[in-house]
Amino acid sequence: MLKQLKNILMIALVAAITICGSTSCNSSKKLSKKEYKVKVEQAERDLNALLNDETEWTLEEQQARLEEIKETDFSSKNPEIMEMIERAEAKIANDLAERDRLAEEKRLAEERRIAEEQRLRELEEQSQPKTDLTDYFTMIVNAKDMTSANDIIKQALNLFEAPDAVVLIRLNNFGDYDKPTTASNYLNYLKDQKTINVGIYNIKYNANNKITELELIKK
Amino acid sequence: MLALSFKVNAQSFGDIGGSQMDERVLYAMTKQMGQFIHRFNYEEDSYGKKLYPDNPDYHSAKKRQETLPLLFDFDNPRTNGALGEYFIEDLTKNHIQYFEFLGGDWFSEVTAKFKWKGKIVDISLIMAIEKEGLGSKWVITNVFFSEFQKMFPQGEMTEREKHFLHPMSHELDFMNIYKAFNNPQIIEYYASSDYTTDYLTLFFYEVKQGNLKFDHVDKVKFHVFQIKNWYFEVSWFNRNGYNSGWLISNLIYIREEDKSSLLKLYQPKK
Amino acid sequence: MKKLLFSIAFAFFALAGYQAFAQEPEISPERKQAIDSLALEKVRDLSKYIKLIGAKNTPWSEANRVIDRAVELFASDSEIGVSSLSKTKVEYYKVRQYLERLMRLNYDRVEIDWYKIQYVSDLQRQPDGTYVGVITIFQTFKGYDAEGKLVYQDTTKKDITVYVNRKETQIGGRLVGFWDVLLGDMRVKETTLK
Repeated sequence: MLKQLKNILMIALVAAITICGSTSCNSSKKLSKKEYKVKVEQAERDLNALLNDETEWTLEEQQARLEEIKETDFSSKNPEIMEMIERAEAKIANDLAERDRLAEEKRLAEERRIAEEQRLRELEEQSQPKTDLTDYFTMIVNAKDMTSANDIIKQALNLFEAPDAVVLIRLNNFGDYDKPTTASNYLNYLKDQKTINVGIYNIKYNANNKITELELIKK
Repeated sequence: MLALSFKVNAQSFGDIGGSQMDERVLYAMTKQMGQFIHRFNYEEDSYGKKLYPDNPDYHSAKKRQETLPLLFDFDNPRTNGALGEYFIEDLTKNHIQYFEFLGGDWFSEVTAKFKWKGKIVDISLIMAIEKEGLGSKWVITNVFFSEFQKMFPQGEMTEREKHFLHPMSHELDFMNIYKAFNNPQIIEYYASSDYTTDYLTLFFYEVKQGNLKFDHVDKVKFHVFQIKNWYFEVSWFNRNGYNSGWLISNLIYIREEDKSSLLKLYQPKK
Repeated sequence: MKKLLFSIAFAFFALAGYQAFAQEPEISPERKQAIDSLALEKVRDLSKYIKLIGAKNTPWSEANRVIDRAVELFASDSEIGVSSLSKTKVEYYKVRQYLERLMRLNYDRVEIDWYKIQYVSDLQRQPDGTYVGVITIFQTFKGYDAEGKLVYQDTTKKDITVYVNRKETQIGGRLVGFWDVLLGDMRVKETTLK
């Protein structure tokens, strides 16, 4: 039904433009009675549709139609149309503002969503290797033989910027450390010793989220 | 027997892994001289845990009375009787004293094999802890080598008195001095009466000359003069049972005034 | 001139020594314990390496890698002095030589175990300020032939020198103070225990 109405309105609009275009319709005075009557009918129909939200026109199309209607002077014979025009103008202005507000809100929401996604991703990335790393520690220590331990070490080293990324081992909280070592050496150490006596104290990452420095603490 | 040994508790010691064997013997063993000192002073409890001065049991006289008897060689009748008891009573009641690593007046006797003039000989090196720089080190303070001792026998006084250069020898350009060199075995009779043989210098000379070549260390023991009026010796007992490791192998009551001459044997230059 | 230089150098060292001494505050018992544990851990690491090197199922390449890691635990020029009940004379080995010998032992299977007991001495300072201590551990060794028959066994006391130095290094723009623990000479003496 609405679609049909739209089609009708569109035809009317095109017809009006064509007519006006060819007859340079500047004043109602020049219009014949019959023409004026048609205009009134069209204006009333369109304005009603506009005011009742029965068009599928865009707000810009609505604005264009309204401007067109305003070209005919209805003030003397049809003041109700003038009142409708005023209401339609207010409504379109309101709708435009509402549309802008919604768009702004949507943009903000989108931005927030992206930021949140980013935050979650970062969080996940940060926490992910941490659990992974201790998992790897356990896997290395429990490997059934040296070959499988070596495979796990190879995978675990992917978490690091380089196999020689620094590994610090805190003995306590008095600033006492063991001699600094490297990721590769430490993982091999776990393989040989088959025991874990440290916890993760701190991890530093580079821009690619690879571990540049691992700080462990003795349990 | 167990009552006479350091207590054994597998929980109190760390685990180096693996072995499930009976370890009581090893708990009881005084494994290092440092552990002997700690047990002597009660600076580690009977489970082997180190004690620090804030612990009420640290240096406890009562605990020392219980622990000190365990530091004696049970098989030695000399040290096991009343002598040992007096020693412990002295240490914990009369003159409370502790054995200090850096306290001086204790020596290590390192018996080593050397090659000397084509034969294998035993030489005892006397060593002491000496403070230097930021810490300390073991230094050689004297040597005992029977060949050196033989070379400088005490000699009978009547014999010594026969050998001298009369006080007017200078007037004859010491023409009689050749007699001193005629009998090299007793050349030292011609030295001043306060002359003492410096065995350490002799030893260094022989090593530098290439006459003495070190082979290996045979045995180590310790001589402790730190405790007032007492001397004791600590030796290594490599044996089963609960009385092994570093233990007191000799104990002598010796008054302080008599110690100095004895100490000269260990550290002549002090 | 030479003499002057020497006396200046001497004065400098004396001063440096004095400063190092003055800067070194007494280490608290808690920190001492942490250092003791660290030293003991190095010995424990060594004992695991020895087990791996001795084990006949350790692949050859891995055994060699483990030897490298074990050698890294020691100060250079460290020696191992070995004596047995029958041969009291101490035989000297370089660390690598000792470990390679262990790898090549001609048994079908070996069992190396460590007693749960150890003794960690006090740390004493040597003249240059380095802390030095001795850790005592006990090991049992069993060698089996192809028929699974026990053909050799001994229990040895191992007294291992431990050097501890306080060092500092720059890491990620900050100064990290660490304890450099290196093992030194090791005396291996057979005991009467079986």
